[in-house]
Amino acid sequence: MAANKGAGPQVIDISKLNLEQLTTLKNQLDQELQFFSESLQQLKIAQLKFNESGECVEKLTPETKGKEILVPLTSCMYVPGTVANSEKLLIEVGTGYYIERDVPGAKDYFSRKIKFVTEQMEKIQKIASEKSKLREVVMDMMEMKLDQQLAVIQQQQAVAGKMGEGMVA
Amino acid sequence: MGPGALQKKLEEEVEAYKKIQKDISKTSGLRTQLDVQLNENKVVKEELDLINEENVVYKLIGPALIRQDLEEARQNVSKRVDYIQQEIKRHGNTIEKLEKEAEAKRENIAKHQQQLQQMMMKQAAK
Repeated sequence: MAANKGAGPQVIDISKLNLEQLTTLKNQLDQELQFFSESLQQLKIAQLKFNESGECVEKLTPETKGKEILVPLTSCMYVPGTVANSEKLLIEVGTGYYIERDVPGAKDYFSRKIKFVTEQMEKIQKIASEKSKLREVVMDMMEMKLDQQLAVIQQQQAVAGKMGEGMVA
Repeated sequence: MGPGALQKKLEEEVEAYKKIQKDISKTSGLRTQLDVQLNENKVVKEELDLINEENVVYKLIGPALIRQDLEEARQNVSKRVDYIQQEIKRHGNTIEKLEKEAEAKRENIAKHQQQLQQMMMKQAAK
């Protein structure tokens, strides 16, 4: 089986690699897959958070103005209050910047973010499955090489056995 | 050069090579960090470009949210994006230079190792 490592700048015929190099390659692929799965998880968490924020914004309609709410002062202390402004929302956009937007603008921001994160997740998923396939191929090659080596050893043992018999006789 | 001196020189070269490798990975790490910062700032720039004058912009300075002028915020972020891009290019050049040095060191080390081996064989033959 002469499988190629990949259509990149370097095409290595993995059937030419010995067992040690194949193990190194497999470990490298394992590490990359681990990294991808961690990244995917983080993206999923980000997606959930944006989703939640978007749903919260949906709840904030003009009718909620003046309604009673509980305002958190610390992580275990709340204070009763009323909704003062149900039109303007402060959104954190990164690097310490906060932007004030109205409800439709905020909804638009969150749906854009969710779309962006979903696109990134799809990209990573594609690359991760390619690497996974590559890892499968490498492992198959390793098994084959191992079988070959075992066969050679068994053959050598058989020959040595015959020679021993010949000498004894 | 006797084998003892050659051996010592070889060890020095290997040490220097290891140091270059460490520098390369340190600079690579910095460069990755800069990439992350660049992306974050690009996102902020996009958002600032989408809004208009009636949306207020605040910046978190310490524990306080300070109101910012939209134009000023846009310029600040633009300048930061440019600066980070420059830094990334600079680090990229440093990495390239270090890798060339590492390559040269590798060849040097291989050459010295060969010399040492030949010397050892000659001595053993005597």
